[in-house]
Amino acid sequence: MEQLLQHLVNGLVLGGTYALLGIGLTLIFGLMNVVNFAHGEFYTLGAYAAFAALGLAGLDFTLALLGAIAAGALGGALCEVSLLRPLRHESIDTTMLVMIGLWIAMQNGELLVWGGVAKSIPHPFPTAPLVLGPVSLAPLRLFVLVVAAALIAASYLLIQRTKLGRAMRATFQDAETSALMGVPIERIHTATFAFGSALAAAAGALLGPIFLAYPSMGDLASLKAFSVVILGGLGNVPGATLGGLLLGVAEELGAGYVSSGYRDAVGFLIIIVVLVLRPAGIFARAERIG
Amino acid sequence: MPNRWTVLVVLVVAALMAATVFVEAQAPIKLGVIQPLSGPVAASGNYVRMGAEIARDWLNAKGGINGRKVELVIEDNKSDPKEAASAAEKLIVRDKVPAIMGAWGSSMTLAAMPKLEEYGVPMVVETSSAATITKRGNPWIFRISPPSEMEALGLEPYVDKLGVKRVDFLAVNTDWGRGAIGAFGDMLKKRGVAVGAAEFMEQSATDMNAQLTKIKATGGDTLFLTTAVEQITLIMKQAQEQRLARRIVTTGGSSSPTQLIKQAGTAAEGTYHIVFFMPWFPEAMPDGKLAKAFVDEWAKRGHPFEGLTEGFRGHDGIATLAEAVKLAGQDDPKAVRDALWRVNLMGVNGPIRFEKDGPSGKESGQSRPSIFVVQIRDGKVTLPDFLAKK
Amino acid sequence: MRRSGRAVAALLALTLPFWLANPYVLHVVIMAGIFGVLALSLNLLLGYTGQLSLGHAAFFGIGAYTSALLTLRLEWSFWVALPAAATAAGLAGWCIGRLALKLRGAYFVLVTISFAGVVSLVSINWMDLTNGPLGLPGVPPPELGPWSLRTKRAYYYLVLAAVAASSLACKRLVGSRIGRAFVALRENESLAESVGVDVTHYLVLAAVVSAGLAGMAGSLYAHYTRFVSPEVFLFTYTVTMVIMVVAGGKGTLAGPLVGAGLFTALPEALRAVTSWQWQMLAYGVLLVLLVFFLPRGIVPALTAVRRRS
Repeated sequence: MEQLLQHLVNGLVLGGTYALLGIGLTLIFGLMNVVNFAHGEFYTLGAYAAFAALGLAGLDFTLALLGAIAAGALGGALCEVSLLRPLRHESIDTTMLVMIGLWIAMQNGELLVWGGVAKSIPHPFPTAPLVLGPVSLAPLRLFVLVVAAALIAASYLLIQRTKLGRAMRATFQDAETSALMGVPIERIHTATFAFGSALAAAAGALLGPIFLAYPSMGDLASLKAFSVVILGGLGNVPGATLGGLLLGVAEELGAGYVSSGYRDAVGFLIIIVVLVLRPAGIFARAERIG
Repeated sequence: MPNRWTVLVVLVVAALMAATVFVEAQAPIKLGVIQPLSGPVAASGNYVRMGAEIARDWLNAKGGINGRKVELVIEDNKSDPKEAASAAEKLIVRDKVPAIMGAWGSSMTLAAMPKLEEYGVPMVVETSSAATITKRGNPWIFRISPPSEMEALGLEPYVDKLGVKRVDFLAVNTDWGRGAIGAFGDMLKKRGVAVGAAEFMEQSATDMNAQLTKIKATGGDTLFLTTAVEQITLIMKQAQEQRLARRIVTTGGSSSPTQLIKQAGTAAEGTYHIVFFMPWFPEAMPDGKLAKAFVDEWAKRGHPFEGLTEGFRGHDGIATLAEAVKLAGQDDPKAVRDALWRVNLMGVNGPIRFEKDGPSGKESGQSRPSIFVVQIRDGKVTLPDFLAKK
Repeated sequence: MRRSGRAVAALLALTLPFWLANPYVLHVVIMAGIFGVLALSLNLLLGYTGQLSLGHAAFFGIGAYTSALLTLRLEWSFWVALPAAATAAGLAGWCIGRLALKLRGAYFVLVTISFAGVVSLVSINWMDLTNGPLGLPGVPPPELGPWSLRTKRAYYYLVLAAVAASSLACKRLVGSRIGRAFVALRENESLAESVGVDVTHYLVLAAVVSAGLAGMAGSLYAHYTRFVSPEVFLFTYTVTMVIMVVAGGKGTLAGPLVGAGLFTALPEALRAVTSWQWQMLAYGVLLVLLVFFLPRGIVPALTAVRRRS
């Protein structure tokens, strides 16, 4: 029982970060129909941006987080305008291939700039865990969970309550009609990609201090993000949130009670089962955004 | 439009032709190096490369081998066995190297081994720990790193002094981690130690809380960790968060205690580490002067101190190959292979001399490297109490 | 013109080991051939039915492990192990085809990724069967009567035969009624269904044939490198196949082969022209450039140029 509680807490913290990664990708995937293999690289970018701000420039943690988000947004916008916009009318495989190329180039560029040695990102929180009965949790992890929740809520509000969000939802439902109604599709795409990349960078900056920053860290992040997207349904932000939490808890319980060697298999099996039973994601009534 | 891509096609074709152009062997002695220079274990591979470059520069500063300069041809295996085999093929056929050092991970080494046999070129194995490498009857393999069994035997005298009674394992799910759990488990069982949980993690995993929670429930007193330094850092941090009060012993020699102090902070306090090089007190190494010189040269080049526990292998591997070429008096692969059996050299780790291992008639060479145990205390790397002289 | 061109190409391919003495280059050519079969198999799904499988490394790996285990443990001959490997992979393809028959697009992609992930983890963790991460060294080279096909030259012909057989099989399949059903499926599924194309049947068929070819490539790979480890399931292998098919030209017969040749040679060419720091970076940049200039792939672009002139 004690173990179960600890496993659940571990799983929720892990799941929160999966959700953050998934939301960015679900918007890009759902709205732009781009299989974004480079998503994890923006996560890496965020982690290194935080490292540069905290470890090298000596900035404060909040500023570093904001800096990482800005770097992600800027990088995302740049990538959308230069690589994806000219190929907007090509097939999904073509854009996927461009993103594969970008993924390989970015990862090896990071290796060139930062070297292969993992970087530890300093953080201002005490290392002694908060203890609540049988469960212990590091203050940094609690902070990450809270910030992740805040970012998720903010994304939801942005999509539901702002003009940009409305345009995004309209584009998702029917791009052609939206364009006819005067929605600037190209700008919406840029904004979406920048926003999704910024969220990934935020996840990188948040998780960097818990884990470490290294060039290939984005691969696992991409894989988890894809899983979350599918669990939640394309373009479904609340779905991605729940999907992320579910994946985190399931992996944790699988590793704890089945076999740690098969930890990632639990996630994969859930995806297969979910897709076979509910092809549009667990939480989907229909494909939607918001 | 056609113009732009015509240029591109021409460039690609030119590159392909360049690949196939035969390069004439030149005066310097070329030694091949295959390491994982990109991908998940790029850091370790690059440290080994840096060490190899120091050995090369030292050799050349002394006038090279038999008056010929030494040149390293370095290839990236991208942590992929297919690439390791291709790299070996390229080094042997295109660059005509008489000998190779490589290929870090055991599966990369195993994948390159058929190529050595096919062309008859020796390879000095500097890192791989899988027992099977020297047991397969490949007479072109010479290993200077200890297989897990040898490492476990190296720890055996200290088991009682460490006070290990009940042990759990957490290892990376590779040949290395699996091999270490097997070898250390057998050794500890023989010493009457109870073995509890044996848990694994994927190479890319970053969250090991589930495994640690499970281990916490076994009530053991010692946790053996076998994985790269990044994961050890994460495990130590996460163990601290979970208040897992265990004596931690890391195996494999690539745990880089300095990096742990820097990145895991207080979580690394009190932990023990099996290492094959002690750059913190080089004078305690078998050849103190050589070890000191290596540490100084490493610092002079601005390489990170924490890489020394990996980097020395690059030096020792290249020094071994150079010695063999010198003894052979020529850079013919077969002559170098025969000469490797006669190598008797002092490396940074200690004496390097090959003993026969594997099926008779086709033995591989296995050296007996020195094995040390260090402890992190008060944020510094020290000899554990039971080893400190006085 | 086209016919004589083809005859010249066939002649060159048949005599290649005699004028290309460099064994390193021959090694690259053999690897290109093995990946050529893989690319052809992926193209069957991606190029003709429009379904992207990102789990193709699983079929490749299943083939490699099946063949390695049968020859190592049961000492079967390679010539029996090869079809057995193709069958085992085809069976896996059938499962995936059945499982995923309701899924399209991104969802199909995810099921295939997940499937590959599970198979890869099984190969790592089922120590008794697969020897886990230690892999299976010492896979024997094929033997033909008294001769061992250990040499590169002999293996080249084996791979060449496999490439020829696969191309022929793909060509026949695509040109038949079944192939037209595939394309109808890709272009407009509901329309295809309404005119009586049994969608499920054809999708599963495509998946089985595609997986079987990939399994055959896996067997060829295992007996060539003579070492199989869980790395055969690496996601990068799948990514490489996708690059080959899409960059070469999906939905064409020559495209995957051109792509396989180019993208097997490219990393080796980069080894020759630049040091290791820049190789993968250059690979990524070149890939982006290629897609940017030839978004539909090399072969369709060449066809377009020839039509214009």
